[in-house]
Amino acid sequence: MTGFIVRRVLTSILVVILTSIFVFVLFFKGLGDSPARNYCEKLGPGKCTAQKLDSIKQQMGFDKSVAYNYGVWAKGVFVGRDNVYVDGKLYKCPAPCLGISINTQNTVWSELKQKYPATITLAVGGASIYLVLGVLLGALAARWRGTAADRVLVGSTLIVSAIPFYLVALLAWIYLSLQLKIFPTTGYYPITQNPGKTISWMMLPWLVIGLTNCTSYARFTRGQMVETLNEDYIRTAMSKGVKTNRVLFKHALRAAIVPVITIFGLDFATLLAGTIFTERIFDIDGIGKWSLDALSTPIDLQVISAGVLVSSVLIVVANLLVDIFYSFLDPRVSVA
Amino acid sequence: MGISATELAEAPTGSHEQPEGKKLAGRSPTQIALQRLRKDKLAVVCGIIVLLMILAAVFAPVICNILNIYPTTATIPYDPSKVLHFGGASFGLPKQGPPEHGYWAAHPLGLAPGTAVDNLARLLYGLRTSLLVASIATIASILIGVVLGLIAGFSRGWLDRIIMFVTDLFLSFPFILGALAMAPILVAHFQHNLNTLARVQLFSLIFILVIFGWMGLTRLIRGQVLSLREREFVMAAQVMGVPTSRILFKELLPNLVAPIVVATSLSLPGYVTAEAGLSYLGIGLTGTPSLGQTINDAQSYWQQYPLYLWAPVITITVLVLALNLLGDSVRDAFDPRTRR
Repeated sequence: MTGFIVRRVLTSILVVILTSIFVFVLFFKGLGDSPARNYCEKLGPGKCTAQKLDSIKQQMGFDKSVAYNYGVWAKGVFVGRDNVYVDGKLYKCPAPCLGISINTQNTVWSELKQKYPATITLAVGGASIYLVLGVLLGALAARWRGTAADRVLVGSTLIVSAIPFYLVALLAWIYLSLQLKIFPTTGYYPITQNPGKTISWMMLPWLVIGLTNCTSYARFTRGQMVETLNEDYIRTAMSKGVKTNRVLFKHALRAAIVPVITIFGLDFATLLAGTIFTERIFDIDGIGKWSLDALSTPIDLQVISAGVLVSSVLIVVANLLVDIFYSFLDPRVSVA
Repeated sequence: MGISATELAEAPTGSHEQPEGKKLAGRSPTQIALQRLRKDKLAVVCGIIVLLMILAAVFAPVICNILNIYPTTATIPYDPSKVLHFGGASFGLPKQGPPEHGYWAAHPLGLAPGTAVDNLARLLYGLRTSLLVASIATIASILIGVVLGLIAGFSRGWLDRIIMFVTDLFLSFPFILGALAMAPILVAHFQHNLNTLARVQLFSLIFILVIFGWMGLTRLIRGQVLSLREREFVMAAQVMGVPTSRILFKELLPNLVAPIVVATSLSLPGYVTAEAGLSYLGIGLTGTPSLGQTINDAQSYWQQYPLYLWAPVITITVLVLALNLLGDSVRDAFDPRTRR
C-alpha cells in the first residue's frame, strides 16, 4: 500500500514537472521570436527597432538558453525573484513567482488569488447540485427499475447529455435572465461580503451546471445500484425483513456510491480548471474568464501560462487523491 | 471531449449471442449489429438526419451557387438608403428580409447585420467545417489510439509502461487549456497573413482535438488486447512463427472492430461540440465559417434578430443530438447487454 502511494506521488510530481516544461517551452519558445517581441511591439508602431528588441531580449534574459530560462523560472516559483523585467521596468516577484501580468502589472500570483474564489464558488455550488440530485435520482431509478419513470429518466439523460453544455447555458442566460428576468443579473459577488447577493447572482449558473450534469450521474449511479441490488447481502437484508428504503439507502447506496465519488473527484477538478464557458457566458470573474481575457492584444503570456499550469496541477492532484482514496476503499487497486 | 470513462465502461466486448431465426450460418457480428441497427427506429431517424446534414455539407458550394449566395463576401453592395443600415439605431440590420421585413426568398435566413453576409450560406459552410473537422479528427485519433493500444497491449513491459504514462499525461491535461495555449501562439505567428492564419487555425484545431482525443481508445484497445493475446488463436499464430505485425493487424484487429466502431460513433458528436465550442470562445476558427463563431456573433442580437442566433443553435443541437443518439444505438446494436 505504502509502495503504491509513494509510486503514485512520484509519478504525479513527474507529470507536474513535465507539464511545466511543456507550458514553458510552448510559451517562451513557441512564439516565432520570443516574448520580447510582444513587449517591444507595445512601444508603438515603428518604435520597435531591431536594436530595441535586442536590448529587451537581453534585459529579460531571452538571449540565454531555454534550459537556463526554465531554471530561473522554476526557482522563482519556490524562492521568488526580485528582478523581473517587464515593459521597461523592474518588478519584485515574491514566491511563488509565476511572473508579472503585462496588462495590469500585478504579480500573476496575486491575481490568481483574486480570481480563484469565484471559480471555486461556481464549481462547489454547481457540483453539489449535480452530485446530490444525480445520486438521488439514480438511486430512485434503480429502485423503480423498469417502470415508466425509470425509462423517462434514462431517456432524458441521453438527450440532456447530448446537447452541448454551452448552448444550454447561453440560452438560459438570454431567456431566463435577460428576457424573462426570472433570475437576477449573474456574475460574482464575494461571498464574505454579502452571501445572499452571491447566492442570487450565482443561482442560474449553479442550476445550469447542476441540471445538465446531474443526468449522467443519475445514469451512472443507477447502473451501480442495479449491480449492487443483485448482490447476495441485499437479498439477505431483504429476506430478514429490513424495510426497502433502509436497504436501498443504508446498505446498497453505500457500496454503489464509491465509483460515483471516484468519477466525481476527477470531474470536480476539471470543473475547477475549466469553467471557461460558464464564466464567459454568465460574466463571472474567475480563472476561465481571466485566461480568456488575457488573449486580447497584447497577449498576456504570463497569465495564460500560469492559468494552464495551475489548472493542470489541480487535475493531477485530484487524480492522485482519488487514486489514494480508492486504494483505501478497494485494496485490489494497489496490486494492479 | 472524446469518450468519457462512463461510456468506456459500457463499451461492448463483442457480441457472443447467437442470432435468432432459423438460418444460423454466414453472418459476422458486424452484420448482426447492422441488422439490429436497421430495426431500431430511433437509429434510422437519426441516421437520416445525419445523412441529410452530411449531404448539405458536402454539396454546400453547389447549393450556394444555385441560390447565388456567398459565405464570406457581402451579398449586396452597401447602399444605406435602399438596402442596408450598418450600425446606428437600426443595429445594422438589413432593410429587406428577416427579422423586421418579412420572409425574403433570395435569402431565406436573412443577412448578417453589419456584414451583409448571407446567413444560409454561412450555415451550410459552417456545417461543412464542423463535419470536416470532426471526421478528420475522429479518423486521426482512432488511427493513433488503435496503433498505440495494440502496441501497448501486445508488448507489455517497458514499452507498455511508457505508452500508458504518456496516455495518463495527456488525460491529466484538459484539452480546452491546450487550445487556449495554442491560440495566441498561432496568432502571434501568422497575424500578418489572414488567409494563412485561417488555414493554420483549421489544421491546429484538428491537431489539438486529436492530441487530446486519442487516449480513451488507446486504453480501451489495450485492455482488449491484454485479454485477447492470451487466447489460443494468438498463441497458435505465435508458435507457427507469424510475424508480430501480422498478428497485430490480421489476427487481433478484426476482433477489435466492435469497440472501434462504437468509439468512432461516440467521438464524432464530441468533436462537433468541441469545434463549435472553441470557435464560440474565439480560440478556435476565426477566418473559416463556423457555427460556433456565428453564435458568438449573433448572441448580442438575441432580441432584435432571434433567427440569426437560433439557426446555428438549432443546427448544432440537432446534429449533435442525432449523432449522439445514433452512437448510442450503435453501441446497443454491437452489445445489447448495455441497455439494462
